Amino acid sequence: MAVKMPSHTSITRLLSPLVNSFRTVSLNPSASLAKPSTIRSFSTSSTHLAPPNKNAKQADPRISLIRYHMQHPKTPRPLKLSRMRALRHWTIHRAWMLARRKRKEAEENELQRMYQSMHSACEELRLMDPPGSKDAGRLYRIAMEKKGIFGHGGVPIEYARAQTDTPAKEPWNHEWTR
Amino acid sequence: MAVCHKAARPLARCMQTSQPPCFSARSIRQFTTTSRRDGEVATVPETEPIVYDPATVTSRKGEKALMKSGVMPIGSRRRRAALKSSGNLPFEQLPYQCFQEALKIFRTDREEKLKQIQTERLRISNLEAQDASNVKGGEVQKQRRLVSMRSHLEYLKIQADINDPLIKKRFEDGEGDMNKPIYRYMAEKQWRKYQQLLIAQRIDQFNIVPDVLPHFEPTADVRLAFKQRSVQHGEYVDSRVSEVPLRLKVQVFDKGERLVSIVVIDSDVPVSEEDNFTSRCHFLATNIPLSPTITSIPISQLPKESIALPWMPPFAQKGSPYHRYSVFVLQQQPGETLDAAQLKEAVQRDGFRLRSFKDKYKLDPIGMSIFRSTWDEGTAGVMQRAGIEGADIEFKRKRVEALKPKQKARGWEARHSSAKYRQLWR
Repeated sequence: MAVKMPSHTSITRLLSPLVNSFRTVSLNPSASLAKPSTIRSFSTSSTHLAPPNKNAKQADPRISLIRYHMQHPKTPRPLKLSRMRALRHWTIHRAWMLARRKRKEAEENELQRMYQSMHSACEELRLMDPPGSKDAGRLYRIAMEKKGIFGHGGVPIEYARAQTDTPAKEPWNHEWTR
Repeated sequence: MAVCHKAARPLARCMQTSQPPCFSARSIRQFTTTSRRDGEVATVPETEPIVYDPATVTSRKGEKALMKSGVMPIGSRRRRAALKSSGNLPFEQLPYQCFQEALKIFRTDREEKLKQIQTERLRISNLEAQDASNVKGGEVQKQRRLVSMRSHLEYLKIQADINDPLIKKRFEDGEGDMNKPIYRYMAEKQWRKYQQLLIAQRIDQFNIVPDVLPHFEPTADVRLAFKQRSVQHGEYVDSRVSEVPLRLKVQVFDKGERLVSIVVIDSDVPVSEEDNFTSRCHFLATNIPLSPTITSIPISQLPKESIALPWMPPFAQKGSPYHRYSVFVLQQQPGETLDAAQLKEAVQRDGFRLRSFKDKYKLDPIGMSIFRSTWDEGTAGVMQRAGIEGADIEFKRKRVEALKPKQKARGWEARHSSAKYRQLWR
């Protein structure tokens, strides 16, 4: 099978001979390494010519694939941290989570502040004139109009791309120009 | 050629001027005429035996010498080498950049939390000082607000310390001071992760909840031991082992000292006349002090005034199914003490009901543990030594005859085995 093999990556390992053999289904435990004993008859022909042994237990291909990838020399070994090292790791992890949370809360508070200031400004407008007068709430109603907020005859930019359950790998091309 | 000379000149100068050190040493050294024998007797230099530090010894010789003297080197060889070369920095000063930045973040957060704790305390004291009529919602709302403010204060206290690696290490090593809220919090979290689930499962499996109490949620960690043998929840305990009073280890997770009562109940005492089971109290003690730091309660060493019903060894008569022994820890109302002598008169061992007992004396069960007992070789001896009668009784199940007729034998052989089919017999 003519497969282009770049440097060892996980993709390469996916196209490993082991995976290829799964397509042909049959997995015969080859006795190619068995030493010919003095009792058994000695054959000079290749072992590949022998018919496959039907009684041999079929190894589960999923298990052998997992073991292949676990025992591969390029697979990184599991980390074992000493006590002090683990404590430092824990501290750094917690500090990172804390920093992220603080940042998120600050952003949310800022948004809340902006929204509330806008809301109170609109309330001010609404209550500017006493109720019952000719111009009561006029400026407020003008402020609530949404005519032409997307330009002349325009639509929101969100209409340009429909949301899907399975978006593309590159969902939005930020570098697009006309 | 001229180039070679130019190159060789600095090299030659270098070789002329520099003197090999061995020659210079010989030229400097004084030449003595006298021999050493004429001078003072050369004393064998006294070398003091090298004292190896078990935390920093790295050489094999040093390790062997330490082990011979009876002191084990501390930690792995790599750890000892690291300690030797590092200057023995305390943990929080280790020069790892990411770690130091993390500690910086943690410290600023802690400062913020301490400020918040301060303002919260101020708010609580202000609200307490306020008159109930000024508070919106009256006294009821004021108390509710105080309760939620206090719980928020506890939350802030935990949040100030929870990111500290030293506190975590101290807790994991078992050196945490249980008077501090953070260590109590961590202990409770650890308990709830496994041991609380375990005791809840045992309570459910052994049907303690409908049999002994209608509802029960453990809030304290209770462990049992007989002398030096610890008892898992629900374990079978040999009657000879449980002949001695047990030792309790109770860990409460809320602050403050309180008085508790301890009850040991056998829920499976067979009553053959009624073909049913009843319960019996094997031990009752009151006014025992308990706090997050005072965790050990050895029953055999309790003062006489606390014990209402002394320890009766658990026994299971032959033929009866296993007996469940539940050990309950009941918290008394704050400030209230019970009279052990009065309890001794009032409480009967046989037919003991924990529901009515706890309602009558206003007790609150906070924790329990359980063990089981069956008839074994030592039970007769235990009963005889304790003066309990009934070691020679064996309980047997009453045979219940089925109403439906016995099933006829199946199969060709069975149907043709009577004398009528003699000619067909093999």
